Amino acid sequence: MGGKRKKSEMGEEDDSNGNGKRRSVDVDDENNQKKSGSKGQQLLPSTIKNKEKRSAVHAKLKQQKKLEKRKRAKTRDAVEKRALELGEEPPPKMIPRTIENTRELDETICKPDDEELFAGNDADEFCSVLKRECTPKILITTCRFNSTRGPAFISELLTVIPNAHYFKRGTYDLKKIVEYARTKDFTSLIVVHTNRREPDALLIIGLPDGPTAHFKLSKLVLRKDIKNHGNPTSHEPELVLTNFTTRLGHRIGRLIQSLFPQSPNFHGRRVVTFHNQRDFIFFRHHRYIFESKEMKQSDSKKGKDTKDGNGSQEKMVARLQECGPRFTLKLISLQHGTFDSKSGEYEWVHKAEMDTSRRRFFL
Amino acid sequence: MPRTTKVECPGCPPIRALTFDVLGLVKVIEARSKQGGVPKVVERWGDPDSSRCVLAASINDRKSDPLLAVARKSGSVEVLSPLTGDLRVSITNSTHPDLRPEDDAIVGLHMFKKHIREASSRSCTLLTCTTKGHASMRSVEVPKSPQDSNSSDSPMTWNVCAAGNILCSKVDGNEDYALFGGKGVELNVWDLNTCTKNWTAKSPAKNSLDIFTPTWFTSVTFLSNDDHRKIVAGTNSHQVRLYDISSQRRPVISIDFRESAIKSITEDLDGNTVYAGTGSGDLAAFDMRTGKLLGCFLGKCSGSIRSVARHPELPVLASCGLDSYLRFWDVKSRQLLSAVFLKQHLSTVLLDSNFNDEELASTAEDLPSNKAHDEDDTLDEDVEEMPVKRKKSSKERNPTKKLKPKKRSKKLEGNDFDA
Repeated sequence: MGGKRKKSEMGEEDDSNGNGKRRSVDVDDENNQKKSGSKGQQLLPSTIKNKEKRSAVHAKLKQQKKLEKRKRAKTRDAVEKRALELGEEPPPKMIPRTIENTRELDETICKPDDEELFAGNDADEFCSVLKRECTPKILITTCRFNSTRGPAFISELLTVIPNAHYFKRGTYDLKKIVEYARTKDFTSLIVVHTNRREPDALLIIGLPDGPTAHFKLSKLVLRKDIKNHGNPTSHEPELVLTNFTTRLGHRIGRLIQSLFPQSPNFHGRRVVTFHNQRDFIFFRHHRYIFESKEMKQSDSKKGKDTKDGNGSQEKMVARLQECGPRFTLKLISLQHGTFDSKSGEYEWVHKAEMDTSRRRFFL
Repeated sequence: MPRTTKVECPGCPPIRALTFDVLGLVKVIEARSKQGGVPKVVERWGDPDSSRCVLAASINDRKSDPLLAVARKSGSVEVLSPLTGDLRVSITNSTHPDLRPEDDAIVGLHMFKKHIREASSRSCTLLTCTTKGHASMRSVEVPKSPQDSNSSDSPMTWNVCAAGNILCSKVDGNEDYALFGGKGVELNVWDLNTCTKNWTAKSPAKNSLDIFTPTWFTSVTFLSNDDHRKIVAGTNSHQVRLYDISSQRRPVISIDFRESAIKSITEDLDGNTVYAGTGSGDLAAFDMRTGKLLGCFLGKCSGSIRSVARHPELPVLASCGLDSYLRFWDVKSRQLLSAVFLKQHLSTVLLDSNFNDEELASTAEDLPSNKAHDEDDTLDEDVEEMPVKRKKSSKERNPTKKLKPKKRSKKLEGNDFDA
């Protein structure tokens, strides 16, 4: 359009300048109206170069959209209401489109009928722990400089993971520690890395030859900072792993699973959750209780509808109490074999070139 | 605006690849032009068993009666038919009975294409090398069926190194020389006819900071097929080095590449390009005349590349590794042609150079200009009278076979310019 205007200006140089400009703008305006009239919403505000006009068109479009949306919501509500009044099935609720349910198709997602997957499971490094041939024994250590939140976090980890032992790092090489842990029959090694007195990375190494997973640790909340937190008992916890769907996720899930004993003590009513969502693994630690509640509140609510006579309607409710810590992990790399940053072979490394889509997830 | 559609891979020319994984499975992947060049797993041989983990494999893809040798973790070497997957011979590679096969794993395996020592035509010669440096060369009689007793003459064994671990070995194009290298073992070249050591490399001098990098070769290859004097090696300290036997014992050129160890290296046909794959999934091409990086192969490859194979005719490169994908690349444009997910950690990939697409062959015959090939067909039939038939027709048709892939590659380049 700019070009056009220039041309018209060039042609009308004989006239007085102001006149020519105004006329050309008028022509443009007419053009715009014609366009918008003929093609409807084809005109994008972003193609208009005049800022005032652009913002005006944009505002108009936005207003229109808002009105339409409100109208649609109104009709939807009306339909639902009428269906309820007539006692019919209300129309099905629409499912919003989210990043998760429009996830890019991934061929590595594990299928339950994949026999090769199970054969692979039987052959992998965690097999002996997960088949209860040996009990997990965890060594926890830190990076070389460690203070404030690091030790506090470790003391809480020790209460979360049964049969975990803390060893001071000292000035040992990590490879030496791996060697030591291997001879002492540890099955996993966890290294908590702190930076500026704040834990920021977690290294989980399977022993004797298991993989090494490097996680970024963020959003750490310790127990004492959680409101109404509970204190965990020393029973073996139950483990909940959700959403580890791909082949890589499955492997990470098994790595995490091998940290915990495979026979939870259900009397303890303790549950440890690793929930994967969009490649972030959320860690939570809860106590739960099932209570048979005499439905007092519900009676007062439903009392009008259901006059049963036996006012104490028994209902089982699960109540949760969080007992920290609480943190989020994100996988940075999974390395084949024990820790070896120089000559190690990676099974998976996060690379920048992978982040070309928001809908692509790896776990 | 995020991309909502997936980027389409252009598909690859008709190709047949064999992959070997940690569970001891052999998978056959074929791409046919009929299916738009999408490679698919067509066959799977063997049952999953971690003790049968494949450590090394070698193929003799001659036109008649091709053979495939596979070294397992349990210490046995199996000779298979690469067309049907039938087991032909199985031998145990126990040079030292006091060593368990787990401690002395086979790292190098080569099946000779030419016959050595006037052996009968039904035999094949195998060179194996273990971690501890026990190399052995033996001829194995390949019977028609596995039930027949196999008579293998006494293997010729020798020790390649006194200390350290052998990690890689390679036999040159004329199969006269073998090359060994590893952790704490400098590269050494052996004459296979006399079993003598010809040449040993010397480690490079200390650097300006007086730091000596320990010897640790992870992959090795000869630069060209007919010249055994130029050697390219990848080291654990992420270097690609060129050695020239005729000039000096220290590397002529050494190139630093990124930050993780070079895990696999393969030469190109032109005799000056090599392809190197690293432990963190980078694959790159180097020109060894100038020592320059030609470019990287980009394709969201996230796991260590254990094996790279160059197709002998088509401009296609295959790579596989710990991310369980087999990927095909275009050599010229360095673009990803396609990737197949194979579920297990892969150890080796081999390409079957004699694979021919039936459909492609028929279209070639339809072309009026290719009348000469009708005469060749009779030749083909003669070849196929051999005891073990190849399913697909053989090399005589190659000129027509070449036609299409070339066009395809041109098309690819065109696409590049568009993009």
